[in-house]
Amino acid sequence: MPDRDVERALERLLFDGDGMSRRRFLGRSGAAALGLTALGSALAGCSIEGEAAHGVNAAKAVSVNHPKASLAGLRWANWPLYIDKKTLKSFDKLHGVKVKYVEEINDNFEFFGKVRQQLAQGQPIGRDIVTLTDYMAARWVRDGYCEPLDKRNIPNIRNLASNLRTINYDPKRDYTLPWQSGGTGIGYNPKKTGRKLESVNDLFDPAFKGRVTMLSEPYDTACLVLLGMGVDASQAKIADILKAIEKIKKAKDDGQIRRFTGNDYTTDLAKGNVWVSVAYSGDLVQLQADNPDLEFIYPKEGSMLFTDNMMMPKHLAHPYGAEVLMNYYYEPEVAAKVAAYVNYITPVDGAREILEKTDPDLANNPLIFPSDDVRKRLHAYPALSPADERTMQSAMADVTGA
Amino acid sequence: MSSRDRVRTALLGLWSGLALLYLFIPIFIVVLYSFNDNKGRFNFTWQGFTFKHWAHPFANSDLSTALQNSLVIALATTVIAVTLGTFMALALVRYGFRGKAVTDLFVFLPLATPEVVLGASLLGLFLTLHVGTGMITIIIAHVMFTVSYVVVTVRARLEGMDRHIEEAAMDLGAAEWTTFRKVTLPMIAPGVASAALLAAAISVDDYVVTSFNAGSTQTFPLFIFGATRQGVPAEVNVLATLLLLVVLVLMALNVVLQRARARRDVRATGGAPDDIGLELAEAGARG
Amino acid sequence: MLRLSLRTRRTLLPYLFLGPGLLWLIVFYAIPLINQGGVSLMTGNPEQGYTLQWHFATYTDAISDYGTQFGRSVLFAGSATVLDLVIAFPLAYFIAYKAGRWKNFMLLLVVLPFFTSYVLRTVAWQLILNDNGWVVHRFQDVGLISSNGRLLASTKAVVAGITYNFLPFMVLPLYVSLEKIDRRLIEAATDLYASRATAFRKVTLPLALPGIFAGSLLTFIPACGDFINAALLGTPKQYMIGNVIQSKFLNILDYPTAAALSFILMTAILIGILIYARLLGTKSLTEAAA
Repeated sequence: MPDRDVERALERLLFDGDGMSRRRFLGRSGAAALGLTALGSALAGCSIEGEAAHGVNAAKAVSVNHPKASLAGLRWANWPLYIDKKTLKSFDKLHGVKVKYVEEINDNFEFFGKVRQQLAQGQPIGRDIVTLTDYMAARWVRDGYCEPLDKRNIPNIRNLASNLRTINYDPKRDYTLPWQSGGTGIGYNPKKTGRKLESVNDLFDPAFKGRVTMLSEPYDTACLVLLGMGVDASQAKIADILKAIEKIKKAKDDGQIRRFTGNDYTTDLAKGNVWVSVAYSGDLVQLQADNPDLEFIYPKEGSMLFTDNMMMPKHLAHPYGAEVLMNYYYEPEVAAKVAAYVNYITPVDGAREILEKTDPDLANNPLIFPSDDVRKRLHAYPALSPADERTMQSAMADVTGA
Repeated sequence: MSSRDRVRTALLGLWSGLALLYLFIPIFIVVLYSFNDNKGRFNFTWQGFTFKHWAHPFANSDLSTALQNSLVIALATTVIAVTLGTFMALALVRYGFRGKAVTDLFVFLPLATPEVVLGASLLGLFLTLHVGTGMITIIIAHVMFTVSYVVVTVRARLEGMDRHIEEAAMDLGAAEWTTFRKVTLPMIAPGVASAALLAAAISVDDYVVTSFNAGSTQTFPLFIFGATRQGVPAEVNVLATLLLLVVLVLMALNVVLQRARARRDVRATGGAPDDIGLELAEAGARG
Repeated sequence: MLRLSLRTRRTLLPYLFLGPGLLWLIVFYAIPLINQGGVSLMTGNPEQGYTLQWHFATYTDAISDYGTQFGRSVLFAGSATVLDLVIAFPLAYFIAYKAGRWKNFMLLLVVLPFFTSYVLRTVAWQLILNDNGWVVHRFQDVGLISSNGRLLASTKAVVAGITYNFLPFMVLPLYVSLEKIDRRLIEAATDLYASRATAFRKVTLPLALPGIFAGSLLTFIPACGDFINAALLGTPKQYMIGNVIQSKFLNILDYPTAAALSFILMTAILIGILIYARLLGTKSLTEAAA
């Protein structure tokens, strides 16, 4: 019977009886490993594309034309709790669309990790606006991942605050438009420290040994420390930054610093585990509700100003729509609403005046609307080459133990 | 029971109670803080009791959608992973075949791989294949790393399991599939149920792998991680509490129903069944 | 339709059972992982891209640079696993033997904390264990920690966090294998004049070995690669290899090193599993079950 032959063939193929002897196991797995590696290298395609493939010089003049088009399907990726959703609803009503607003950015590097491959291969990433912090925005601009802005569709750009009209990585604001800014300064509890703090170097006061936290992001922490060392952080070179990281390392070894944190310094500070933190201005506005003793200072040597910027990724589907949306948020009334909700520093002139009438406490809060002499002491992040940036991140990682 | 046994049972009960308490201490805090009258966006300091967050727990539509997504994903993941994993466990424990030892070890590997690498490399695959990331890719990813947990858990049940009853059933003329359905499955049911619980829990709580493969879909953990930058709203605590309550109530109902069912089964077999019959009835009621 | 004998059907069956799951793992795990293997041997940087140069030095560099973190991960994960075993065994025993029809309910209770998010749970612990909180004060009263001491931001906190978060992974497999032990075996042992303790040692414990093995692996293996507990509850002195891999991958964009570190971790764990299996004497890994 023909089936019997099939059977026998199957049996010979499949049936392996009892378990393996060690030699057979090693032999088999060795062969498997070699086979898999060969397969792997074939699959790996032997290379990963670099970012600089489509690099761009932001200082060069650029002109672009985004004709009127439908806004339907517009998609904006932003950080969570970073907008007053009512303003989005008003925009939707105004234009008869439904903007897809996704709060999917939790961390600049993490988001970049998600879309890096598509960007490097020159593919669209499915978002029309992304909101990224300066150092990541700088990377995208430099690597040519951003679509230039057609400023004719953004007349309200004239409301952009004067100190943000230019920035080292995008001198003409051809690619990026600030969304919100914040200050990296010092949050502390005067009741615990026993005195008012004024200087960055108070972080290193031995009286606070073990009661200090610093942010693990070197752009924030190392640059702030550099300001305390008398160097203008926004013009800093990698050698300067490494010196600042040295200083931080020494403090860590001395036990000055309890730990390095992301956004989670807030629990420690609120609960009194820690007395002094490198902190973000927007956080302190909220923390003060939790613990009214807490205060925020822009140190006398200066603070770092970080800005989250709206950018259009290359090959986006709705450039015109994105620009219309950006323009909407540069209207002072809208910007005022956002500032009232988010409590970060708005880049839009005129918002403060509006808030003075409706919410004077907010309008006079120095954390949200810093005074002019504070503004003079706010420094943008330095523009580092990618290799230098990696050196900085590596050096900081060594200190934070990662 | 002897008095020594009673003491032993009491001590075991005490330990178990303490262990469960330990597991639930942070949960009490989470529930408690859903009633915190916090004025800012952070929820660290007790500022007074209020029901205000409970008034409109689903008001934040993004949060509600995220929770919904997480539950759907967990359900799909559990069903698929438990099916795939149980059959794999059966194959690995009960049969010899070519490549068994390697497969054995291979199944452990996903557990050992750091989540960053798991997530990023899977994303790389999807991008190469031009597959859009979203709900489906999240489910694929979740099944991928929960299958190992299922295999390991069900194996612990299968190893050394007495096969006499199955052999008896087949001697009595039951076909293989019937034996599997009516005898084997009920006997491994505790293992399968435990594996299902584990898979669901892992899926609902996963962050790293999900964040790489979610596209623009939000899940509960993704939302919460993102929200920590600005302060996790107390509505999150409310929803988490609601979820716990719903699951607890469902489970308690299940226990009550099973008691009714078991009583009914015993009555149906004539009130005085022999050992095997009773075992099977209990196995059915247990599983 | 082929007419195959019962015997052939029986020999095909394992492949049928194994097929779908294995296929899933091969497509969605093995292939991406092989790709990462290739990446670990590449050299380059994010700007100019990476090419496969079979650069094995990445591996040796990784071991020498991060040996401390590897060792620490093993130590922390190992301690947490032992602690979990101690806590979980009586609990699993109670659920298996004494809980009656509340078994499934209690199992659910064990797993329920997972349904609140990791972030909420860890923040809750931070609140409970904060330096000026009730718990720390009681510990200070009793003298377990110094009057300046703290519980957070320490090895204790990190290990406690890992123990807490992986406890269900130990309880469930233990329960699963304890529950299936035929109680009549234990009764028989005591009928034969063995004491309860001996019956436990000679009957229950050996039969529970598959569960102990499974639970330990499900706890230890993922705990080795954990990074969250160290990040939120620890200081740089507690950072584990998971933190290094996370940072290399996301911040420093050093993909070859991140991939190499991952493979070293996985290999070490695999070797560990083999040794552990040998120690416990379970034949479960390389031979068919009886």
